[in-house]
Amino acid sequence: MSGCAHTRSAAAPAAPPLAQEPVLLPVPADPTVSFRIAFAVGSQNDPAGKEGLAALTAAMMAEGATTKRSYPEILRALYPMAADYTVRVDRERTTFSGRVHKDNLAAYTELLVDAILHPAFAASDLERLRQRTLDGIEKTLRYASDEELGKAVLYTTVFAGTPYGHPEAGTVAGLRAITSDDVRTFYRSSFSRDNVVLGLGGGYDEAFLAAMQRQLAILPASAPAVPEIEVASGDRRRVVIVDKPGPATAISFGFPLAVRRGDSEFAALFLATSWLGEHRNSSSHLYQVIREARGMNYGDYAYIEWFPEGGRRDFPPTGVPRRRQLFEVWVRPVPNAQAHFALRAAMREVDTLAAKGLTREQFELTRQFLLKYSLHYADTTALKVGYAMDDRFYGIPAPGHLARLRDALARLTLDEVNAAIRKHLHPERAVIAMVSEQAEALAAAIGSETPSPITYATGKPAEVLAEDKLIEAYPLGIRREDITVVPVDTIFAR
Amino acid sequence: MGVKLVTLVAALTLAAGGEAGVFPFAHQVHRLDNGLKVIMIPLPSEGLVAYYSVVRTGSRDEVEPGHTGFAHFFEHMMFRGTEKYPGPVYDGIITSLGVSANAYTTDDYTCYHMNIASVDLPRIIELEADRFQNLSYPEREFQTEAGAVYGEYRKGRTSPFWLLFEAVQDKAYDVHTYKHTTIGFERDIAAMPTMYDYAKSFFRRFYRPDNVVIVVTGDFDPAATLALINKQYGAWTPGYVAPEVQPEPEQQGERSVEVGYEGRSLPLLALAYKGERFDPASRDLAAGMLLGDLVFGETSDVYRQLVLEQRLVQRLMADFGPNRDVGLWSVIAVVGQEKDLDAVRHALDAAARTAQDAPPDPAALEDLKRRVRYQFLMDMDTADKVAGSLARFVAITGGIEAVDALFATTAQVTPADIQAAARRYLATGRRTVAVLKGVQR
Repeated sequence: MSGCAHTRSAAAPAAPPLAQEPVLLPVPADPTVSFRIAFAVGSQNDPAGKEGLAALTAAMMAEGATTKRSYPEILRALYPMAADYTVRVDRERTTFSGRVHKDNLAAYTELLVDAILHPAFAASDLERLRQRTLDGIEKTLRYASDEELGKAVLYTTVFAGTPYGHPEAGTVAGLRAITSDDVRTFYRSSFSRDNVVLGLGGGYDEAFLAAMQRQLAILPASAPAVPEIEVASGDRRRVVIVDKPGPATAISFGFPLAVRRGDSEFAALFLATSWLGEHRNSSSHLYQVIREARGMNYGDYAYIEWFPEGGRRDFPPTGVPRRRQLFEVWVRPVPNAQAHFALRAAMREVDTLAAKGLTREQFELTRQFLLKYSLHYADTTALKVGYAMDDRFYGIPAPGHLARLRDALARLTLDEVNAAIRKHLHPERAVIAMVSEQAEALAAAIGSETPSPITYATGKPAEVLAEDKLIEAYPLGIRREDITVVPVDTIFAR
Repeated sequence: MGVKLVTLVAALTLAAGGEAGVFPFAHQVHRLDNGLKVIMIPLPSEGLVAYYSVVRTGSRDEVEPGHTGFAHFFEHMMFRGTEKYPGPVYDGIITSLGVSANAYTTDDYTCYHMNIASVDLPRIIELEADRFQNLSYPEREFQTEAGAVYGEYRKGRTSPFWLLFEAVQDKAYDVHTYKHTTIGFERDIAAMPTMYDYAKSFFRRFYRPDNVVIVVTGDFDPAATLALINKQYGAWTPGYVAPEVQPEPEQQGERSVEVGYEGRSLPLLALAYKGERFDPASRDLAAGMLLGDLVFGETSDVYRQLVLEQRLVQRLMADFGPNRDVGLWSVIAVVGQEKDLDAVRHALDAAARTAQDAPPDPAALEDLKRRVRYQFLMDMDTADKVAGSLARFVAITGGIEAVDALFATTAQVTPADIQAAARRYLATGRRTVAVLKGVQR
């Protein structure tokens, strides 16, 4: 019933036709095959004034006609297989993903390869997908997803002026400026046999792998340059408040982090951040302070790697590797009247962590937790392939990130964790993004350190009330001139 | 050379084209003397086990006025500990074991799920058995948690879809408890902090062994596990009394509702038809559940027309799922511009009429049957997802036999059955039409 995976068979194959080795996870007993086809191109490669070009090009490949088939024909062919292929464009990577039952492998692969090699870039597909993307920014992101808006503003503020400085989807002006020729030109220069990594997992065989490689090898042999990302970390806190009507305030804040996956201090910071705010986990400290003790919101989390769609996933995603990462805190919506208090409460905890580090008890419990909890991060073949693809990006050798992380956690000492915290956590340089209908009043209150007492509908223990007194007057050290209020309609306009 | 990776997967010994026994795993079903049902599905899963406790109570069972949303609120309280393992102690143990623990509440049931390392299964059985029998928390914690639920409500209200569903359910039902959403009416949520005594009675009435099914999947020893469950849950006293959920009278005529969304949103159009209570042996029901995909799915004529060719609609979705009572089978269109709402509605109506006037292409029906089966099978690629795929069936029917039964019935559905189902279920007289528009321009 089960198969133990191994590397490609020792039978000497011809030199691989693609510039980069494939990422392989054969599981012979698996009745399905998982695909990841990643190109080293992303929104960082959008030309100035055409922000959104990478995402729109990829969408037209995954959700448009090819030169052989209309899009309705493609949908009809995929339908009985219950299979599809999707594409994700992140700052640095464009990844096509899919999974299919072996029964349908040949027919599915033909469709997937056709989409990548022979997109038609039909005018009607361009208009349909452009409009969907524009509505995604102008209607959904601006008006119907405050939390995602807050996070997007945090990242674009920190990385303003760099190729990371706009959302993957693009900007309104950039999307409107994109022509059919732009898409074709971008495709030809960006999807190349030199910048593609083929990932396969599950029940495929050697002949199938060879055929896939042969087909992808007809892609041209150029690839876009990788732009430098020079980020200024700032010397003080800055705030951007998006002025938008609504009963609740969304809060995200963060600062650039010099450590990334594969670095020696990653495990230490990962552990510290897990203690502070493991995603969707009630044991984390911020959750205990803001939700559990005070009932202010639904959850409070912290990250050292980009974690998109946090409201819809339990565990970290794959396929979004980045050279530049933030330490990030996500405070889920709080009532407007408690926004200032919530920001103070969260920042105070991060300041305290940065200053004092973890206790031995906190360290030991979090290590124990992570050694098992991280087993859930990649429990399918498709996810394991995804992690291995990301290992390739970060240059992490076998046995790969998760296994090395667990190994590092097991050997980690409290001193190492606290040294990494002291060295890398700089909340005094945080950029804070908020979405609130009381933007001006909030800006004035934060800028003048106005006390922000909290009241409760129900009784609270004395120790909570005593701590509230400290939180309500906690100095954030933010000057009014470092707070910008932005009308929501201008967000990502250009 | 490729990266060396090691994994094990559950191999599905499947024949997606076969007729009998679509559910691909061997399983055992036991019932304890107190009525607690235990479904065990051992399968290779890299040393992980999924442990699901399905309480067959959801927002459907909130029959008393003023207590909507209580099943969901109660789900939150289940993490607040017992006398033996008070909240912080319970949290500490769960944390130290690295458990992925969570819960969710739906219209028909409440589900507590834990994804754990196999070696920790005995401990988890002890902890779960303890909280399901001995839940105990101070009033103050209860009140604080009510604030978190209100926060969840606020978070939800920022979604236009959420507002739309709230309005549709309220309009579509007069007496049945499907009238309210799972999170409940806002006024009831606001009053939750005062409901401490009611919460205790809620626990006594619904958290009983004869209303709960445990599903265990993954790497474990069934005999030893059953013995442990017997030991830890054996003393739990039965006594579930089903609430008297008022049946909804047959709907007489189309209903409609307009929803204003404070903010900007693409206009949403919902056609919510009264469906059918779940019965896996019913060909009417099986045919009805296929209608959403067949008539409005991404290979349908109307999808091609509205989404791909005319581009009046950005997304077209249909959900014709199973419910314990007569639920809503909904078609939702995310419309590009308000001026096109009528045209979209007419096109969707025309699609429904076409389905009523003639049977579908037999090849399209067979494609859909294949799709449904592959979908079900391919979803089950971890122990957790096997249990997760079964939870709703377990909750509605009390077991997993309904899975194979439904697939067997579906295999027999003919094009004529589909036409008959379209005439019956896609009747305008059984539907509620809802339109949502942003009120800020």
